[in-house]
Amino acid sequence: MSLRLLLRSLPACFFLLRCAAWLAPGRERAEWLAEWRAEVWHVWDSYGRSSQVTDLCLGAFQDAFWLRWYSPRSMARRVLRTGSASRCSAWLSGCTAISFVIFLSLPGARKAMSPSPYWNADGLVMISSGGYAGTQVPTIALQDYQSWKTSTRHLFTGIAFYQPIHKRVHIAMHRGTELSIGRASDNLFKLLNLPASTYSGDRASGQYAARLFLSQAAWRELFGSDAGVIGNHTEISGQRVVIAGVIAQDSSQLPGQVDAWLLEDERHLDMLPGNSKGFVVAHMRTSGPHRVDGWRTMNVRSEEGDNDRFDCISLAQRSRLPFSIFLFTLIVAVVTLPATTALPLGEYPRVSGRLPWAVRGRRWLFLLSKVSLVVPLVCLSSVDVAYGIPSLSLTSTQYIQLGLSYFGFLFAFRWILQDQRKRCPVCLRELSNPARVGEASRNFLAWNGTELICAGGHGLLHIPELPTSWFSTQRWLYLDASWGSLFSEGCVPFAGFV
Amino acid sequence: MATEPKLSHTAAMILHTIQAGQIYGFSVMEATGLPSGTVYPAMRRLERDGLIVSKWEKQSIADAEQRPLRKYYKLTRAGETTLEAMHKRYPLLKKMISDPEVKNA
Repeated sequence: MSLRLLLRSLPACFFLLRCAAWLAPGRERAEWLAEWRAEVWHVWDSYGRSSQVTDLCLGAFQDAFWLRWYSPRSMARRVLRTGSASRCSAWLSGCTAISFVIFLSLPGARKAMSPSPYWNADGLVMISSGGYAGTQVPTIALQDYQSWKTSTRHLFTGIAFYQPIHKRVHIAMHRGTELSIGRASDNLFKLLNLPASTYSGDRASGQYAARLFLSQAAWRELFGSDAGVIGNHTEISGQRVVIAGVIAQDSSQLPGQVDAWLLEDERHLDMLPGNSKGFVVAHMRTSGPHRVDGWRTMNVRSEEGDNDRFDCISLAQRSRLPFSIFLFTLIVAVVTLPATTALPLGEYPRVSGRLPWAVRGRRWLFLLSKVSLVVPLVCLSSVDVAYGIPSLSLTSTQYIQLGLSYFGFLFAFRWILQDQRKRCPVCLRELSNPARVGEASRNFLAWNGTELICAGGHGLLHIPELPTSWFSTQRWLYLDASWGSLFSEGCVPFAGFV
Repeated sequence: MATEPKLSHTAAMILHTIQAGQIYGFSVMEATGLPSGTVYPAMRRLERDGLIVSKWEKQSIADAEQRPLRKYYKLTRAGETTLEAMHKRYPLLKKMISDPEVKNA
């Protein structure tokens, strides 16, 4: 039997109806299904296996959906109603979720917010040319590094160099691929205290070979996560190297995206041109006057007698920086908020005491939920923008995050208060139908301002045009149940967080 | 002043069809040529607005003919008033679907 004929059979049609019935509201489902079954049975009885039966059944989905949507108890309709608190929360949650997805998809942003992977990060510093701190561009010449190895012993307990390069790696017989490799001095992993630096199998045989550490992604992609490749030899542009291990995905937060690390001894590095640029990592002495807690400038007198300026930034400070900026801007935004908008939410009469605690509490819960959604939204968005652009220097990144975070918090908090003020305290929906009441010329004799009403019939909001000593802020007037007949939707059954 | 309910042409056509004697969903579909996904939701709306009412047929009739119970629709007084107004608004409505009396004549 073909699929088309199967779909036109009576059991298949009844199955479709049963599926559609799940869309219909529970109370009406049985009657709805009985009517549709009868209709389908009659059509099938009159026309047999024809396309009319299937077409009729497919229309049942639309009918069931209509019933669901226009049901007075339809939760979806109540949640998505224009101006409802749930719609506002759903919108904010959606934006926060999108920022989080963007954050996860941007390696720069993810790396900036993850904690430092180095246990001794407090003593580790990244040295770069003045003004280039935090960039992804190598700025230190190899010859500088070589001179610092001896001249900075009083400052550093260890100093390492690395240089991102692109080289062809031999994978199998007649097969190779281009990889981004971090060519580094032999002591880099020891300095960073990464566990992968312990392999030294080849030295036992007396023949030196540089050690290659693959990133997890490269190991998975090139070698299919085969643990057997560890200890094997391979070639990188003709140079014989040993695959010494695999390093964890986020074990390195150093600038420069690399697929593998190639650790070479100093003799091999010395063969490189002196002016080739790379990055330098050093470990500060933990005691003494030169300790770096954050940012320090290092001046080095060159052979020509000029003073070359270098920035030393602590790796621990670097990893904490986005969070520090976020906290700082949050505090400053809260402090400066009263300068942009009034903080009081308005006057609500004592009659609200008759309202159940749950209804009164929902208003504050909604305010709290908005704050708790806005804070991560601003934080993630600012980090996404600031750290999503890899070519920016650390200074530029900080300023971008600072600006976005501060103005983001300020405007978000301002919006939260303004939004809260224009909502009904009972059902939390946005007030509507603004009406001008009074005349401006009579401001001191009579009330003059704007009046808004809750479409659910819970009350009226009076906003004075000019705050006076007897009407300084907006005032809410509760309407009793006798007004309910004037409103299209009964206020009592639907009052609440919808 | 009584407010005249505003119906779309489709809803007016369905109302006219029911008044013309097509009293269950599929017969309305056949008479109007509209798909089931349009006819049934429109009939629900008309019933919600009080222009038509639905009624299940008697169990004994269905049992005698050995078939499932069927739901029939008919116009209310408000529906008849609205349909008269719709005939003025859509004059071609009567010509599109003829009355059963006319059909039998």
